[in-house]
Amino acid sequence: MGYGAVCSVVEGCLVCGDAAVEVTVVEPGEQDAVCEDRNGGRGLVGVDLVGPVVAGDHLLVHGGVAISRFEAAQ
Amino acid sequence: MKYVDEFRDAELAGKLGVQIAALAEPGRHYKIMEVCGGHTHTIYKHGIEAHLPESIELVHGPGCPVCVIPMGRVDDGIAIAKRPNVIFTCFGDMMRVPGGKGTLLDAKAEGADVRFVYSPLDALKIARDNPQNEVVFYAIGFETTAPSTALTLMRAKNERVTNFSVMCNHVTIVPPLMALLESPDLRLDAFIGPGHVSTVVGCRPYDFIPKHYGQPVVVSGFEPLDLLQSVYMIMLQLDEGRSEVENQYGRVVSWDGNQKALEILGEVFRLRPHFEWRGLGFISQSALELSDAYADWDAELRYEVPGVRVADPKACQCGEVLKGVIKPWECKVFGTACTPETPIGTCMVSSEGACAAYYNFGRFAKSAARAGA
Repeated sequence: MGYGAVCSVVEGCLVCGDAAVEVTVVEPGEQDAVCEDRNGGRGLVGVDLVGPVVAGDHLLVHGGVAISRFEAAQ
Repeated sequence: MKYVDEFRDAELAGKLGVQIAALAEPGRHYKIMEVCGGHTHTIYKHGIEAHLPESIELVHGPGCPVCVIPMGRVDDGIAIAKRPNVIFTCFGDMMRVPGGKGTLLDAKAEGADVRFVYSPLDALKIARDNPQNEVVFYAIGFETTAPSTALTLMRAKNERVTNFSVMCNHVTIVPPLMALLESPDLRLDAFIGPGHVSTVVGCRPYDFIPKHYGQPVVVSGFEPLDLLQSVYMIMLQLDEGRSEVENQYGRVVSWDGNQKALEILGEVFRLRPHFEWRGLGFISQSALELSDAYADWDAELRYEVPGVRVADPKACQCGEVLKGVIKPWECKVFGTACTPETPIGTCMVSSEGACAAYYNFGRFAKSAARAGA
């Protein structure tokens, strides 16, 4: 399973510019978690930068790495 | 769909458009720059300008990562890609960016092992799976993307993956904004701030814009209603005589950014003294290079590169487009010699580039408007 799988369906993300993808954690892990995008695609996501995750967490992913959590920033 | 459908409500968009129009002062022309290429893409794809009065002009900024890569840096990447035993990896659109000596896609056609990846972590996996090869990742992007490169380098170092290296072209968002604000040929009223960059850097770095230049900044999300609400917030500030940094994208952007990401950026990278931006020239301390602690993974130290500055093609006006001085369709070669299939300039390569976004979406809306008139 690759890291970019959840990015691949989003138009504009080929370049990994300022586009990012919302995903849901399916299988948590310490460094990487299996996440699902809004179209049901699954892939690995590096979660080191957003702390421990649990199943159901909503993350913002860019370049295969989670850079923020939805609504945690409020 | 959560976080999507509620931000694409056409009825709400119409209401916001009316409220925005009510704030527009008669006889005044407003120029608002959306810094980010992702915003440009949304504006054209969803016809945002159709909801705005003619007195509000959206100006496209320099926030498309491939658009600002100068041709010489592309040639440097190609030189590494053509070395024997090298597997050269990069993001997809980067493969089509023209350098002075063709593209990475051309190099691939000529036999170089060039592969596109969606994540630098996938490039590291290729290195682990191919210990007999040297794997190079061509890193581009703003602070949104730099953390994924930094995290990958930290893993490479921890795992002692020595056949992996990075050619770093990461840039930072604030210096080009300062350059634009100092530009004599561009007058702006406000900025729509980059949403995903701000998940990492937060909102504080933009404080200098209202403080020193008196212009509002609203950090914005990427859905149509995000952008319209951001324009509304800007117009409200202008109407009330305020200039502040505001955060419309609170569902993922915090005021202080992602501290963990900022920490690893500080550990893995350091600022370059200067870096060339396509269309903007050399800007001091506007890009990142690997720190001494990661020198062993620095492709520019590992391999010899030409390092030659290459002038843009004379016909190409990407520089003026990136600075918001002209619109994409005002470029001499737009849609004729330069199309997404055969791009001359970088702005026509990426779907986030202003020219490609306009070519793919905006020109149809303009044609329809003309037909309607």
